[in-house]
Amino acid sequence: MSEPRIVFDNVSRFYGEVLGVNRVNLAIQPGITSLVGPNGSGKTTLMNLMTGLIRPSRGTINVLGIPPTRPEELFRKMGYCTQFDAFPRGLTGYQFIYSFLLVHGMIESEAAKLTDEALQRVSMTEAADRPVAAYSKGMRQRIKLAQAIAHRPTVLVLDEPLNGLDPMARNETIALFKQFGDEGRHVIVSSHILHEVDRISDQVILLSHGYVVAEGQIQGVRSEVKDQPMQILVRCDKPGLLASRLFERDNVVEAKVNDDGRGLLVRTRDADNLYLLLNRIVLDNGLEVEAVAPADDDVNSVYQYLIGAEGGTT
Amino acid sequence: MAVFKHAYKGYDGPLTPAWSRFLVLPRYAFEEMSRKRFYTMFFLVSMLAPLIFALIVYIEHNLSALKMLQIRDLVPIDPRFFMNFLGWQSMMAFFLAAFVGPGQISPDLANNALPLYLARPFSRVEYVLGKLSVLLILMSIMTWIPGLLLFILQASLEGNGWLTQNLRIAGAIFFGAWIWILLLSLLALALSAWVKWKPMAGGLLFGVFFVAAGFSGAINAILRTQWGNLLNLSHLIGAVWASMFEQPMHRGTGAVFFRVHGEETPIWCCWLALLAICGFCLYLLSRKIRGAEVVR
Repeated sequence: MSEPRIVFDNVSRFYGEVLGVNRVNLAIQPGITSLVGPNGSGKTTLMNLMTGLIRPSRGTINVLGIPPTRPEELFRKMGYCTQFDAFPRGLTGYQFIYSFLLVHGMIESEAAKLTDEALQRVSMTEAADRPVAAYSKGMRQRIKLAQAIAHRPTVLVLDEPLNGLDPMARNETIALFKQFGDEGRHVIVSSHILHEVDRISDQVILLSHGYVVAEGQIQGVRSEVKDQPMQILVRCDKPGLLASRLFERDNVVEAKVNDDGRGLLVRTRDADNLYLLLNRIVLDNGLEVEAVAPADDDVNSVYQYLIGAEGGTT
Repeated sequence: MAVFKHAYKGYDGPLTPAWSRFLVLPRYAFEEMSRKRFYTMFFLVSMLAPLIFALIVYIEHNLSALKMLQIRDLVPIDPRFFMNFLGWQSMMAFFLAAFVGPGQISPDLANNALPLYLARPFSRVEYVLGKLSVLLILMSIMTWIPGLLLFILQASLEGNGWLTQNLRIAGAIFFGAWIWILLLSLLALALSAWVKWKPMAGGLLFGVFFVAAGFSGAINAILRTQWGNLLNLSHLIGAVWASMFEQPMHRGTGAVFFRVHGEETPIWCCWLALLAICGFCLYLLSRKIRGAEVVR
């Protein structure tokens, strides 16, 4: 049985003297995995390596047990959607999907069936007979996605698939990704839109300057960033009292009372201890607590801590 | 680690044979071409010469027609006749390559469409083969297919073992045409891959043919040599055809395009030069046909 993971084993890729990615070791599980990093960090290189469109300078890659050097097997299981608009001239949306299914090796009747299925999934059936050149940016994104999923792949590699989509189409697309992820497929997505990465990802891979800076579930990644104190928001009736009690302990770095006087933002080097301490203070002082929640275990915060503002991401 | 229920079903239906997938490319190319009246017109015009040549063969074997036209012998139906036919049709094929060739690869490169092809069970070789087949099929219909039909017509009208005595002509038509259309197709595709502006790529094909001929003449004149001919496609093809049809080189081979000028070049050198040009075109294609553009 093949390995249900995408494995990068010490993979490097150089473009002459320019570094693409360096010493990448990854084991990507099923579900939605987001590649996050500034422009030039190596996201697209990683995707191109995964799909075999470029070969690694060093190391090996394995996609569900298949090396990218065996495209006949690999692309039966993989669908790829590039970040650029990529359409042969003069085709309608239907022809675009149908013709590439023929290239894929489907017989005509099956290709027609799969084309209809893919068009339905991205809600493009009505516009299918219009030329792709006449599509809006959002429609082009959806038709690209349709061609990537048309042959029912197990692994979907999608480079910036949410770019140019209006909010409604974006929600539909995200729902589709979630459905794929829930079905146990691999959905590898690169995106600059961090709050959406947060919404959809089962795991993230953070890249910077060709190196993998962090990988895993975002909360796990955040807890590993030891040099940045965790931020925890406590909504309670006496934030001032809570702040004074917390400062009696060493591991609290900062506490800031909210403007509305009903919340306290605490920065701590030891979140686990803080939660225990919080329980004790609440019981000892009879505080009424509405909510306790981490304030910076999202992709945006982790991105800022690990990569900084260099990418100018939103 | 999350647990996922594998609820999807991958495609497990029938597949076409891997060798046949490249034919999807000419299919769509022909569909697109058929929508353009110019190509249809040009193609029809290019079929005029085969009709005229067939008519000549027919009249030549029809005594009453010869009597009516009051001529004893119209045109001798010999190897030179077929070589002229091949030369003329190959010239038409050249124009076709200049019109159709530049539109093969450059739009895919300009539209970033290569990853679409190559992120499938479809290799770079198959992609080139698919694009090449567009030109090869079209030019075959213009060159060796009517050439062989003409040969069969002549053989059937002549009878008396003419076919077996002149089988070499059929071979020369077939292989001579293939050398030319293969060279032309590779040149056109290589230019299409490197020059994104179609009119420029088409113009360059003419440039390769005519400017190189002028350049080779200049080399020959200045250096008092014959080796400049190796840059002259017209000379190379003309010489190869002359040897295939067993004709003297200086009598001119077919249309004016393929005349052999000046001193004769050893035939093996001509073959070698043609191979080198094809090899160089393949190298140029291999540099450009990539799934992901490498920006250094």
